[in-house]
Amino acid sequence: MEMSASLAAYEAIVGSSVVRQLRNLGEKLSGVRVVHVNSTREGGGVAEILEWMIPLMRDLGLDASWEVIHGSPRFFEITKEIHNGLQGKSVDLQKKDWRYYQDENEKNAERLRPLLEEADFVIIHDPQPAGLLKLCPNRKGKWIWRAHIDISRPFRPVWKVLRTFVDKYDASIFSMAEFAQPLPNSQFLIPPSIDPLSEKNRDLDPADLESARAEYGIDPNRPTVVQISRFDRFKDPIGVIQACRLVRKVAPVQLVLAGGGATDDPEGKAVLEDVIEAAEGSPDIHVLLLPPDAHKTINALQRLADIVLQKSTREGFGLTVTEGLWKGKPVIGGDVGGIRIQVTNYQTGFLVSTPEGAAHRIRYLLHHRERMKEMGKAGREFVRENFLLTRNLRDYLILMLAIRSGREDRIIYM
Amino acid sequence: MSPFEVKDCALLIRMSGLLPAMNLRELRDRIAVCGENVLYHHFCETTLRPTFDDPDYRNDFAVWSKLYLRDRVLAERLGILDPYVPGGMEEVRAATLDVIDDRLGELTMVPWVRHGDEFLFKEATTVVFDTGERVRNPKELAPAIQRMTNGSVYYHFLDALRRPPVGKDDFSVWLLDAGEEFAPYLASLGTIDTQFHGLAHLRKELVRTMTQAGEWK
Repeated sequence: MEMSASLAAYEAIVGSSVVRQLRNLGEKLSGVRVVHVNSTREGGGVAEILEWMIPLMRDLGLDASWEVIHGSPRFFEITKEIHNGLQGKSVDLQKKDWRYYQDENEKNAERLRPLLEEADFVIIHDPQPAGLLKLCPNRKGKWIWRAHIDISRPFRPVWKVLRTFVDKYDASIFSMAEFAQPLPNSQFLIPPSIDPLSEKNRDLDPADLESARAEYGIDPNRPTVVQISRFDRFKDPIGVIQACRLVRKVAPVQLVLAGGGATDDPEGKAVLEDVIEAAEGSPDIHVLLLPPDAHKTINALQRLADIVLQKSTREGFGLTVTEGLWKGKPVIGGDVGGIRIQVTNYQTGFLVSTPEGAAHRIRYLLHHRERMKEMGKAGREFVRENFLLTRNLRDYLILMLAIRSGREDRIIYM
Repeated sequence: MSPFEVKDCALLIRMSGLLPAMNLRELRDRIAVCGENVLYHHFCETTLRPTFDDPDYRNDFAVWSKLYLRDRVLAERLGILDPYVPGGMEEVRAATLDVIDDRLGELTMVPWVRHGDEFLFKEATTVVFDTGERVRNPKELAPAIQRMTNGSVYYHFLDALRRPPVGKDDFSVWLLDAGEEFAPYLASLGTIDTQFHGLAHLRKELVRTMTQAGEWK
């Protein structure tokens, strides 16, 4: 796992005023004890966030720590079902399953209670450890539930039970208003972010790019369109292939469709097979099944692209869009979810709803190379201002300051 | 004159608790009853939150009308509303309702959006803190603005318009005490149309116009 850098390492990227702002905020929270709790130390988006957030909070003077709950395989099967249910899938969770969920939380509470009850802030990530609040009756600090997934259209029986675990929190956090559920506490909105120094986003040497180009047989003399995503029907990889076939009639475009983690997922495997079949007979379509740790390869492929696609028909926040914009590429994305926040027509790329729309916009960009450069530049600045981890860290700091003040006024003076 | 105290701020956005609006009539009814902070957020705080710097319109109601209700006429009428009128947000609310009521009267059916495109009402708390930085000479103001965060620019140039003295930005108020010599700086600030600037661009514009004013005087 990558080790995160200190805040000073980001100064060259975000500017000294941003770092100074964080230090100012950090001073006001100096010594505050913050405990983050999630369900895994490695793998997944939440662990990636905590991997950088804990050292940066410490760098700012907070007493931040990260605890991971333990559980049996059955516990994680149940929480996977809860996760799926929150995202709208019909799942069969019985009372005994919920009892088991809470029993496992109880075991973790036995271990973590002294730390959690003494903390000034406890931030519980996602549903797995949500039961801990009820099991820490002598808590002194504020407890916040951070939902990283879209729970706007849940399978109601699952939400009805989980709600009883999360509605007692002092506040909750969602990534976007569109992902939230009504709760009796304040629901704050904090969009996710990317780490510009991570393997997936840091600058690469030209040699690294050339190596990836050679390895995957990408022609340097023809325009390249890249979509990085899981092999999932909601990412519409078949639509992407159709779009590129339409463009091929007038421009010699080549397509890279790259994603990982499909082999242990029956649905993903079926989608990958369909994609390979759809790409058959087209040497210009490169379908790449990448291992989960292929961060540098993904970085290189995004940098080799002329245009980044994310033609989803359903999407969460869409951090692959953020990554593409950060690499200075115009992005053609589906008109859904968080892609709408990031892609603005003619500014950072184009929103599309069909393969034909995607093809039209690819052709437009290939015929307007200067606009493509301008959009790429605007997109990178947009991400620098809004979607790097420094903004995410700042949001957590002001959330803690606001909650600690106990006020919900329009302006709080610190 | 006393030194200019550079403040900074950041926005903490939360759901307002109002039900989403699925159509123009619901939008109207929610606007009629929502808190002033909700209106303020959707009209004025859009520059300080993660959003693209250069949309067609600065307020969320106009953007929603254009993108999701697909009503360009309404979007244009809402887009031109000035949220910094002397009467404050109640005057803005009345003007907004007036525009929507006129439009509802012109249409033969109430425009609506598909599921997933509802208008979601939000509000925000602005957390303000002292940066410790002080500007002692008006000539140092432009370089100081150059170093400011977007939050500082927002707080002193836009949010200030709503604080007493209403309609005046903090830089102008401070320069009023600087004497005749700095009148060109003051005049230059009055030429900036805030409607079409993101904060990074607004900072550049402030520095540019003030530097230019310093050269002409």
